[in-house]
Amino acid sequence: MNDLSSTGKPVEKHVNERLSGYLDGELTQQDQQQVRLHLEKCEACSENLEGLRALRARMGQAQLGDSNKDVWREMMDDTTVNVSRGIGWVLLIGGLLIIAGIGVVAFLTSSSVGGVEKLLVSAVYIGLGALFVSVLRQRLIERKTDRYKDVEI
Amino acid sequence: MKSMDMRQELVNMGGGAHALAIQILGNSHDAADAVQDAFATVLARPGAYDRKKGAFKPWFLRVVRNRAIDLLRRRRPVEPVDALVDPGVAPQQSMENLQRDEGLQRALKELTAGQREIILLRDYLDLSYAEIADVLDVAAGTVMSRLHRARMALKEVLESNDE
Repeated sequence: MNDLSSTGKPVEKHVNERLSGYLDGELTQQDQQQVRLHLEKCEACSENLEGLRALRARMGQAQLGDSNKDVWREMMDDTTVNVSRGIGWVLLIGGLLIIAGIGVVAFLTSSSVGGVEKLLVSAVYIGLGALFVSVLRQRLIERKTDRYKDVEI
Repeated sequence: MKSMDMRQELVNMGGGAHALAIQILGNSHDAADAVQDAFATVLARPGAYDRKKGAFKPWFLRVVRNRAIDLLRRRRPVEPVDALVDPGVAPQQSMENLQRDEGLQRALKELTAGQREIILLRDYLDLSYAEIADVLDVAAGTVMSRLHRARMALKEVLESNDE
């Protein structure tokens, strides 16, 4: 007669999958006990378990990534510099935009400057802004589509 | 978590995160890029980690995995799996260890990326099943069966290679 698992199914049909859970100590106490009983009478599963145990040990001893902590510390320092530089640029540009916005509002609402002068000065600045956006857009498109950007000369 | 503690944790986890990214991306150089991107993501928004939602290690590994998958999508068409063991570690290893790891590397190449990463998360990085489910964003109940199938596949390949 087969032992029954917590789901009521015969242990023999499910122990294979639960061998990994048994090996990793991830089964419930009841399932752990059932697998242990099964292993006592099933040589194939016991061999399988030993194979899995050896496999786990082999994986655990392998060197699969760069374990040199200096490499990662250095990389993190570079990353920190880049992140703080990015934050610095965002703050600088954000601050300049706010100051420019306040200036534009003050200029446009000023009663001491005539309407024609306001129009002319606005046209100059709008033109400069449009040129800047156009050049920036072109540069961004080039950067995205240039296949040779990483080629060192 | 304090900033200095987080930085030290990240340094300690660099090698493991690199190994995980190698399994996804297939080469050491791209994997290092994925880890660096993950460092930048975490350092830019350290508050994104919520201690109440679990340990830092699986959370960071999930960030690394997501970055590696992003890089993989951008890199399409998929390049052949190159080296699953970091070549930079060779000088530190004895010849015997090197041969052992080369055998493992050959066998891992025969598996799918999904099989490689679940084995790595459990047997190399020592994560619990709940943490693995968290990193892979799968139901906790499926981890045991997936892991077992992956282990059996690796065991079979290793045995056939040894013959």
